[in-house]
Amino acid sequence: MAHATLSVRGLTKRFSVGGSEITAVDRVSFDVHGGEFFTMLGPSGCGKTTTLRVIAGLEQATSGGITVDGRDFMAVPPQRRNIGMVFQSYALFPHLTIFENVAYGLRLRGIGATEIERRVRATLALLQLESVASRHPAALSGGQQQRVSIARALVYEPTMLLLDEPLANLDAKLRVMMRDEIRALQRRLGITTLYVTHDQEEATAVSDRLAVFDRGRMIQIGTPEEIYTRPQSLFVADFIGRANFLPVRLRVPGSPAAGVTLGNGTELSPARQVRLEADEAATLSSDDSGVVMIRPEHLALDATSGDVGCRVLRIQLLGGLIRYTVQSDASPVDVRVETTRAIPGVAEGAGVHLSIPPGDAVLYHR
Amino acid sequence: MSASTASKPTAIGQDPRDWSAWVLGSIVVVVTVVFLIYPLAHAMLLAFVKNGEDPAWAAFTLDNFARFFTAASYKRALWNSIYSGLAATLLATAIALPMAYSVARIAIPFRGLISAMSVVPLISPPFIGAYAWIIVLGRNGTITQLVREWTGWTLPSIYGPPGVILALALSYFPYVFLIVQGALAAADPHIEEAARMAGASRARIVRTVTMPLVVPAIGAAMLIVFIKAVGDFGVPSILGGEFQVLPTLIYYQIHGFFNLNAAAAIAAVNVLLTIAAMGALAWVNRKRSFATVGGTSGAAVRLASPGARAFGNVYCWLVIFIAVLPQIVIAVASVAGRWPGTMLPESYTLDHYRAVWSQLTRPIANSLILAGVATAVCIVFGTVTAYASARGRLRARWALDLTIMLPFVLPGLVVGVAYLTAFNSGPLILTGTAIILVLAYFTRRVAFIFRSVSAAITQIDPKLEDASKICGAGWATTMRRVMVPLAAPAILAGAILVFSTLIGEISATVLLYSAKWKTISIAIYELVLGDQLAQASAIGTITTVLTLLLVLAASRLAGKNMAELFR
Repeated sequence: MAHATLSVRGLTKRFSVGGSEITAVDRVSFDVHGGEFFTMLGPSGCGKTTTLRVIAGLEQATSGGITVDGRDFMAVPPQRRNIGMVFQSYALFPHLTIFENVAYGLRLRGIGATEIERRVRATLALLQLESVASRHPAALSGGQQQRVSIARALVYEPTMLLLDEPLANLDAKLRVMMRDEIRALQRRLGITTLYVTHDQEEATAVSDRLAVFDRGRMIQIGTPEEIYTRPQSLFVADFIGRANFLPVRLRVPGSPAAGVTLGNGTELSPARQVRLEADEAATLSSDDSGVVMIRPEHLALDATSGDVGCRVLRIQLLGGLIRYTVQSDASPVDVRVETTRAIPGVAEGAGVHLSIPPGDAVLYHR
Repeated sequence: MSASTASKPTAIGQDPRDWSAWVLGSIVVVVTVVFLIYPLAHAMLLAFVKNGEDPAWAAFTLDNFARFFTAASYKRALWNSIYSGLAATLLATAIALPMAYSVARIAIPFRGLISAMSVVPLISPPFIGAYAWIIVLGRNGTITQLVREWTGWTLPSIYGPPGVILALALSYFPYVFLIVQGALAAADPHIEEAARMAGASRARIVRTVTMPLVVPAIGAAMLIVFIKAVGDFGVPSILGGEFQVLPTLIYYQIHGFFNLNAAAAIAAVNVLLTIAAMGALAWVNRKRSFATVGGTSGAAVRLASPGARAFGNVYCWLVIFIAVLPQIVIAVASVAGRWPGTMLPESYTLDHYRAVWSQLTRPIANSLILAGVATAVCIVFGTVTAYASARGRLRARWALDLTIMLPFVLPGLVVGVAYLTAFNSGPLILTGTAIILVLAYFTRRVAFIFRSVSAAITQIDPKLEDASKICGAGWATTMRRVMVPLAAPAILAGAILVFSTLIGEISATVLLYSAKWKTISIAIYELVLGDQLAQASAIGTITTVLTLLLVLAASRLAGKNMAELFR
């Protein structure tokens, strides 16, 4: 059962706030495979948490359908969906001990005392919480509380695990630790997992696949690599990872595949440098203006030769990377190079040459 | 989404498959209509027909109200109510403001104790304080006699306006103290520091910064005192003498003539006074926010000069002493043997307690039973409505809040008249039973639980309910296993407050009790009217000590200073 498959079809949720209707979720459809770690990613207000809460049964959808293992879920109240859920605030019951918090779901299922004891102990051991079993939530650190809320969600062997921004209340270091722990646990148990976050780094680090949301719509779905390297829209390109956006003009009339020209006249050959990945790029026609997206780590700097001549504005050391901010005549461009590959002889104010390696730039309609 | 719905609580009845929420909700609506709205509306209708007639268009008359223009006693009672209410409000404010400033802004010790002690007058029924003043300042009172012996002067009589105004002011000044002190404590201290840096003197800061900041709080507190004062029955009926006010006029219309219609009309006028004050209160509260907003940053700088501290200490403890004096006097009187107008009695005895014990077991048992049952009803109803109000997506939330809070501020005599008229005939006849007392008590006190539990529920993360559901619990199970345990301290604190203030309830009781269901408060009232002050003191002392202990327990349970329960 832990390998449940989830299917969401045309899910729509409208709220009326002060007389006006707000569409929080707009015709969202996706499938989550059995045992998959699936993430819904987007800025706050994009509809990802509402989608999760509708799947949990905590909100009623305006229209659309949800099935789990082929069974219609829309008419099932949340308490009968047998789902595990972890909340951003953890939502631990403050009046119950850690043991009783974890045992809560089992007691509601009418399981015998010895079996409850066995399963709670096993789950607490799984999350290294044995030593705090008799304490109350207030006596635990944020990381421990987080573990308890995961234990409480897993103990009754739910069909799916839903996590709603589970790491948002932890400090930066703990966040990285916990996300790896959650991922390892999910792999070990093979449980179908739905994860909601606004942190793109977190999403790409843990997910098998992820869906990017914007203003109630799901705008792209794919593996982290697909989404990072081939973002389907400017929004996704900007939201996932760091990106430079260079305004361009299509060069050869009648043939968008023939290449583009940067603002300073530099020509980028499509064969060499520009992919027309984005759907909308196919609609480009001659002499249209567009935008080229290039990741900072794909650009190369050289003191003597390259595609575009630039001046170095700033050099910053960011741990393992060096960040060069350079400018030709358009807006500043961000270039990142591993510290071990620092370009010799380049200082702030110096002239350098920027080159765009083959296949790494993506063209969008303006 | 994240911002709007993530914080949106799951509402009662949001899940149409869960019937338990609907059943409870329906009960709430029925009780609200039958026992809160119907009696009040019925009484208002009766005010417009002649004595003995049923409300109908044909019988419509304004005669009952015309007496306010024709009968001298009515005119005087209305004027007296307004006059004594205003005077008591001004006196209470004058007493309380320096005290509030001292506790909030002067470095004096035992500030928490002063706040806690200040609620003693609110806990003990005002009429107990009133007859304590008779012992001290009455015709044969201690101080009256001492003054007469030493100076030969005869003090002016305590009976009449001066005594009523003094006793009312000393009973209700803690509201002004608690509210204004709270506002001062919440005001951002940096504002005063900024004024200081700008070169203002202390006196100038008080005048131009501190006072304007708390003016709305002062206004709100004064209106509460006014509402309480114009609704008080015990004090004017004991100390008033010939001085009639609206509540005593209602009482005599019913006990003297059993003219329910006239009483309803007087009640309507009394309610108008209350509603006018409430309207003003709502208007003042609208502007109150700036006094309390954003005041979490650091503690206020307190005056520490010897002069300021001397003033603060002397003033606060003097007020506390005067406010608690009635309780002390009553305690002493309850064990006094011979007390011929000396400072202290000449001999002591427990005879009064023995007399009380042998004669008053029945009223004591009655009061405990009535208050206990009423408290239980308040707990159930108050908790459910508080939950509905705090968590429900109710369009008519304001109507629910108002319906529950209105009887709380209405004079007890008005609630008494409403119940008497609504349940004396018609489909539901309850007069003379214990049930009518329980229901009237419930009506008057359910707001205590409602307020206490509402505050607690808004502090509980709505996600806890979501988590419980996800774990497999339905609405009823979630309530039983999560919400009730978490709100338990607030429920218990509210319940104790209800119970303890019901033990001494008189203004609704005095219209609704029957020979079989006589309460402690009525017993004390009769003893006072029969001039058996010693026995009245014995039972009064028992009541006050019991109430005080209960309120102390409530404050411990709620984890609050006693003062905060009343703020």
